[in-house]
Amino acid sequence: MSEGVATNRWLLLGVWILVLVALGVAVQRSLVVTSDLRAFMPPPRDADQKLLLDQIGEGPASRLLLIEIGAKQESFVRVAELSRGLAQALRGDPHFTRVLNGEIDPAALDPSLLPYRYLLSPTLDTHVFDTEFLHDELQQRVEDLASPAAGLLKPWLARDPTLEMLKLAQRWTPAKTPQMRDGVWAAPDGGALLLVETVAPAFDPAAQGAAIDALIGKYHALGGTGIEISGPGYFSVLVNASTRKEAEWLSGIGTAAFALLLLVAYRHPGALLSAALPIASGALAGIAATALVFGPIHGITLAFGFTLLGVAQEYPLRLLSHRRAGVSAKDSLLGVWPLLRLAIASACIAYLAFFASSVAGLQQLAVFTIAGLIVAGGVTRYLLPAVLPARFRDVAELTWLERLRVRLDAAPRLRWLPWTLLVLACAAIGFAPTPLWQNDLAALTPVPPQLLQREGELRAALGAPDVRYLLVLDAADADGVLALSEKISSQAEQWIAGKWVDDIELPSRYLPSLATQKARQAKLPDRATLQAALDRATQDGEFQPDLFAPFVDDVETARKLPLLTPKVFGASLLGARLNAMLVERDGSALGLATLSGVRDAAALAKAVAQLGGGVRLLDLKAASESLVADYRTRIGVALLVALVLLAAAVAIAFRNLSRAWHVIAPMSLATLLVLAVLRFGGVSLSLFHLVALTLAAGLGLHYALFFERRVNDSAEARRTLHATLVCVISAVFVFGLLATSSVPVLRAIGLTVALGVAFHFCLSIIFNRRPSGEKFPT
Amino acid sequence: MSALTCAADLPPPPPAELAPATTALIASLRRTAPANTSYAEVRFVHVLRRPLVLRGELHYGGPGQLGKRVDAPYRETTTIAGSEVNVQREGKTPRTFSLERAPELGALLSGFSALLGGDAAALNLDFAIETTQHNDDWRLNLTPRSPSLVKQLSAMIVDGRGSEPRCFTLREADGDASTMLLGELAKASLGEPPTREAVNKLCGSSGP
Repeated sequence: MSEGVATNRWLLLGVWILVLVALGVAVQRSLVVTSDLRAFMPPPRDADQKLLLDQIGEGPASRLLLIEIGAKQESFVRVAELSRGLAQALRGDPHFTRVLNGEIDPAALDPSLLPYRYLLSPTLDTHVFDTEFLHDELQQRVEDLASPAAGLLKPWLARDPTLEMLKLAQRWTPAKTPQMRDGVWAAPDGGALLLVETVAPAFDPAAQGAAIDALIGKYHALGGTGIEISGPGYFSVLVNASTRKEAEWLSGIGTAAFALLLLVAYRHPGALLSAALPIASGALAGIAATALVFGPIHGITLAFGFTLLGVAQEYPLRLLSHRRAGVSAKDSLLGVWPLLRLAIASACIAYLAFFASSVAGLQQLAVFTIAGLIVAGGVTRYLLPAVLPARFRDVAELTWLERLRVRLDAAPRLRWLPWTLLVLACAAIGFAPTPLWQNDLAALTPVPPQLLQREGELRAALGAPDVRYLLVLDAADADGVLALSEKISSQAEQWIAGKWVDDIELPSRYLPSLATQKARQAKLPDRATLQAALDRATQDGEFQPDLFAPFVDDVETARKLPLLTPKVFGASLLGARLNAMLVERDGSALGLATLSGVRDAAALAKAVAQLGGGVRLLDLKAASESLVADYRTRIGVALLVALVLLAAAVAIAFRNLSRAWHVIAPMSLATLLVLAVLRFGGVSLSLFHLVALTLAAGLGLHYALFFERRVNDSAEARRTLHATLVCVISAVFVFGLLATSSVPVLRAIGLTVALGVAFHFCLSIIFNRRPSGEKFPT
Repeated sequence: MSALTCAADLPPPPPAELAPATTALIASLRRTAPANTSYAEVRFVHVLRRPLVLRGELHYGGPGQLGKRVDAPYRETTTIAGSEVNVQREGKTPRTFSLERAPELGALLSGFSALLGGDAAALNLDFAIETTQHNDDWRLNLTPRSPSLVKQLSAMIVDGRGSEPRCFTLREADGDASTMLLGELAKASLGEPPTREAVNKLCGSSGP
């Protein structure tokens, strides 16, 4: 019979593991992990916030990579060659929308669009192609032919004697550009500078990583060495990688230490498997449930979800510690199951508050955690007891445990301590000098300061646009945006002249509105008129006869061209630039003009406000801060609701307010104490602290519940103490390790949970100690 | 045909050993910087029916430093500093561009620097040198070794007498040419309109 039980045990274990593996493979096959940070932001409340969510990491300025190649090399000729080679390679790469290295590329306009130069260039706004104008222009061309720049001019002269292409190329070149050397942008330290715009948004580390890998691969394929990349997209890749590396390293050590602790605590290698199976089942179930409900899962949901699932680690430990000699595992568990069930149920109810937060990422997190906890709890109750090894040691026999229990019982009760702590905590929170909340989104994923400084240098050297400010043009459609952009361009020039800002890149710089194009087109003379004017302008006979036939042809073509719409222009090579500046939304259009070198934001904001009429200066930093402020209100409410739900659940389960108080009070006070310690240490709180506080509270709930538990013998009390000790020591160690991390996000989680677990444990003891006569009624 | 294409893609052949007479001739052209000389430049441009004539002064400030001032028919100053060319014309905003966008100017600069430095070896690095001498008159026919440059500038010809260079002629690949007459020759009458033959005659050789 015992043989049959053992066989069944192995069979069940095998089937369980197989199901997990199958589920794992299925999940892995269908899992789509997104890394867009916006899923973790609240839904926008006003237009600026809405725009911010669209623009964060996706705005033209933040998609720029700043590159320096070949710094400190001996021959700049070679570096310039590399710069040209790299630019050419990247211009054909689908990862990038724009590559600038200083080369003026007169062929930037698609050949088929060349006749459009007369509609794109502002020349016709102030001139007409009459005899006088043409004669003046041609005289200048004669002088140009005598100048050292003649070589630049000759290939274009016949087709474009008024140099419209050159005017357009100059118009499309950023106002402030780096030093030129050998035809490319050069840095003071001897490298070449490039500016590359990616298709991928900055805060999509996976897509950014692919683009950066492609870039570096192309550079190395050219035989280049020494490439330095900077910019928001690169930072997101870097931070992602360093966070992941450190998290993996620390959790590796943590897992090893946890395994060692289990071996010491239970003296059986089977304990490792027993501890791993429920959490693995819960995690897989969580992923599967989230994928089922939401489709793609956010990377942060996964990371936070695994963190919060740490609560489930307690379930198998409770089972292992509570096994009694001479009683089956299943029956041993029955004694603590009601409490465990209550803990699971109340945690799940509390996470419903996250679900109600209307933040997509937090909703995912709620589904993941609730499904994970229920499944981990369920398998601990119904499957795990059947697969536990028959041989085990009843921890109640440990003599040191009894000594510890007696000493804990005998310790002074300090009923005044919680109240004192409450006052101190409130004082610490109330009087802490640093800001309560970390509103700066960038602080969530901090970049080493020397890299930020270098980025600032490169951005200034390249004249690249500012990531903080955007000029937003609101109109009914894309053409309306262009018209508005033209309307304010003279003011924009005044702001630039007034040194408030170095450059404003308006969308109409690339494409004039249809009305302007139409007006220019109307000023183009017909073939006969132009030919006559040209003949008179060239009658002194300096140019070969009929030299300018291609010019006359192009003007004639331009007269009959359909106007260039943003859509058609957007499909051309250069159009990618315009596309990045035009956003269609809800049947209206937005134009986003980037600003470079903002010197006087206040004056600029005032001037823009006076303009009115659909033009706004958007301060992305202010908008993101208001967004975060809005966010924390929601999270605060969610947490408060969670606490109320939890208290209600516990009170209803106990049907006794005093007992519920002894569970809820230490939990709440411990959470407050963690906050107080963090604030006393000058820490400003972020999303990561809040998630960590939630995990700590979940663990604290267990300690409080189990300490409060009325047990009928001291052996069972010893088992409870043993289970709680194993849980507390493992949690403090694993998260204490994270607290030593150099990555602020990991440090925030680690420190908060480790502190929380310690406080919850101590306060549970203080709150729940009773005279032993009351505790063990005979 | 394919052999020819291949040859065009090969790196320039290693500089041949220079004849001692050529080395001596080039060494005799050495001038101490700074040096100024007036010039008259005739440019034959195919899009123009008449050649352009410019007069002004050249300034040699040492290796890599060349300045060209136009006094007539308009006033303009071109300076080369490093790889940057700066053109300032009266009444216009100055223009700056990279030297490699004006290959003729680059060739003129490296040719000038090597000639006025008397450095035959340096000249031989950038150009294949062909020398013809007739009594006191001589001609250096310089063909750029760089395959990309030769696509734009087919030859640079320096005519001289004794230790004096008298003419610099640039022949562009598209058939256009310009000749700079230096020193005494700058004041010579060029004819109305100037022809290639007249200019060649002034430079004192059998003609380009």
